[in-house]
Formats: sequence, structure tokens, C-alpha cells
Amino acid sequence: MSHGLPSVAETAQAVRSGIQVVRAEVLPRAERAVGIARARWLFRAFRRGQGVAAYGPVSARNDGHAELGDRLTFLGGMMPTSVACYEGARLLVGNECHFNYGVSLEAWESVQIGARCMFASFVRVSDRDGQRIAPIIIEDDVWVAHGAILLPGVRIGARSVVSAGSIVSQDVPPDSLAMGNPARSMSLDLVAREATGS
Amino acid sequence: MMMLGLGPTVARLKLRRCESVGLIPTVWGRVWIHGGGEIRVGHRVVFDARMAPIELHAQKGARIVLEDDVTIEGGSSIEAQSSITVGARSRLGMWCKVLDNMYHPLRGNRHSRPQSVPLVLEEGVTVGSRSILLPGTHLQRGVSVAPGTVISRRIPAGVSVGGSPARVLRRGEAR
Repeated sequence: MSHGLPSVAETAQAVRSGIQVVRAEVLPRAERAVGIARARWLFRAFRRGQGVAAYGPVSARNDGHAELGDRLTFLGGMMPTSVACYEGARLLVGNECHFNYGVSLEAWESVQIGARCMFASFVRVSDRDGQRIAPIIIEDDVWVAHGAILLPGVRIGARSVVSAGSIVSQDVPPDSLAMGNPARSMSLDLVAREATGS
Repeated sequence: MMMLGLGPTVARLKLRRCESVGLIPTVWGRVWIHGGGEIRVGHRVVFDARMAPIELHAQKGARIVLEDDVTIEGGSSIEAQSSITVGARSRLGMWCKVLDNMYHPLRGNRHSRPQSVPLVLEEGVTVGSRSILLPGTHLQRGVSVAPGTVISRRIPAGVSVGGSPARVLRRGEAR
């Protein structure tokens, strides 16, 4: 009995575990590989590091000096992400940054982004607002949440959080939370521990 | 399609991944349904996604409930990690974002998932376009939310709010 063919239940179990392995292990790697290949084409005009991956549509344009770091991720969604670096401008993006869908990154003079930053969907970063052009500096480990807008001349300190929907018009010190329109900053130590981030 | 009277049938086909769909659903455009969670759609719900797709994301074990006569416009995304309820006769404008989880904690390891807070929109709520409803939001009956508002609190019945951070614009009549 036990030396015969595996029973239907055993076969089904084996197939199910096989599918699970494919879902959990193989598919993400395959998607990453496709994303890297797509990014290599989309960002062909950029100086870029290793392992830049674009999972969705990205409209990229470089007429100036744009450098992307290693292991960046551009996620796909309902809106394409756009990265633009215009003539004479400088756009630097650090390692291991994550960009969700619909992010708009525009450099007319200078935009610098540090390592391990996270940009949520519909974030707009532009160093020109129609009146002035001023450089934007975003330091390491910054998290910019959904729908936030960074105005020209802003410097966001390391490990800071820009909350959802805020419009940042002044500098944000390191380790702080910026929220509202115009954004006010408060130290992250003062934010309640049990808060769910609101 | 509408001329042939196939609208509800096509809509039902587009909403096939929902747990239950009520009478006469209307779907214009694309509705993306992601995740392994449970999505319940009430009677006469309208998805108007002609300008941009609507995204309904319910994580496994999570639940999104859209009650009767809800209207959702294009570009809105509802992402549930535990539970989101949208009450009867509510209206969600374009490019709204409804989240019951912040996805990243403010401090500590940014890649761990914080706790989610079930989010409730009661009956007759109107949410303007580009509004963001963060975890902790509880809109009571008949609240109206101005476009572009960011909310993370309980808003009492009949009040209209706007701005970022949200403040009261007008108090409704006591009911």
C-alpha cells in the first residue's frame, strides 16, 4: 500500500506546496528581474547604479545630470511615476529608495535625495513652482507619505516623516514629523507612542 | 452595453472577485480588486472609473463593506488591512485614499507593519476629491468632507470639515 503510487490527497498536497513555493519564492524574483530589465530601458539616459527596478510605467527624461543609486524600486499603479531632470539640472537619488506609483520628481536646478528614502503614491517633488527655482535636499531615511508636496528650497532632515497630504514650504529638522498645510514640524519624540501614525 | 441592458451583467463580471454583490451594480471603467480579503458590495452601488481605475485592496483576512447606494469615483483607492465600512448613500470623490493602516511605523524599523485601526464611514457621508482618510477616521452620519482634506479622527454627525489638518467648517443642525 505504502509502496504504490501516491494517493490523490498526497499528490494534491505536493502540487499545492509546489504552487506555494513558486508564489513565495520564484514569482517575486522573476518580477524583480523583469523590473530591472524594464528600468534599464526606461532609465537609459540616466547614470544609474545596480539593481534599479521599475515594476510599473515610469516616464523618465534626462537632459541634465541625473544619477540613480543602487537597488531603487519604482512600483506601478494607477498613475505612471515621472522622473524628469531638465537641462543644466542635477538630480541625485541615493541607494535603496522606494517610489510608489504616481510620484512626480522634477529637477530644474538641483534635487538631492538621500539613501533609504520612501516616497508614497502621488508625492510631488519639484524645485520650481512657477515663481522661483531653489534646490531641494532630502536627507537619508526620510519617509514622505501619500500626496505630500515638497516646495522648492526645502531641506528635509534625516529620519524625518512628512505626513500624508502635507505641503512642505519650510525646512524640516531631522527626526521630526511635518504635517498640515503649510507643514508644521514637531519632534518625533513628542508624538504619542501608541499613535497609529496619525 | 447600456442600450442592450447588459450594464449590470458586465458590472457583475467586473466585480466577480467580490464576496457578494447586491442588485443592479454599475461599473464604468476599470475596478481593480486585489488581495485575498473579503469585499461586500451592497445594492445599486456605482463605480465611476472612467477617468482612472478604482482600487479595492483587501488583505487576506480583511474586509471591505460598501453598503447600499454608495458611489465611488475614479482614482480612489480603498486599502484594508483589517476592516473598512462605507455606509449607505455615501459618496467618495476622485483620487480619494482610504487606509486603515499606516504601513510603516513612525519610528523603529520602517519595514514592519503597525497595527491597523478599523475605519468606519457611516451613512450619507460625502468625501471630496483628493481627500485622505487615515487610520482612526470615523465619519459619523451625514459628515461632509471638503476636497483635499486629511482626516485621522472621529468627526461628529452632520459636521463639515476641511483643510489639512482637518478643522470644522460648519456645524450641521442637531438631529
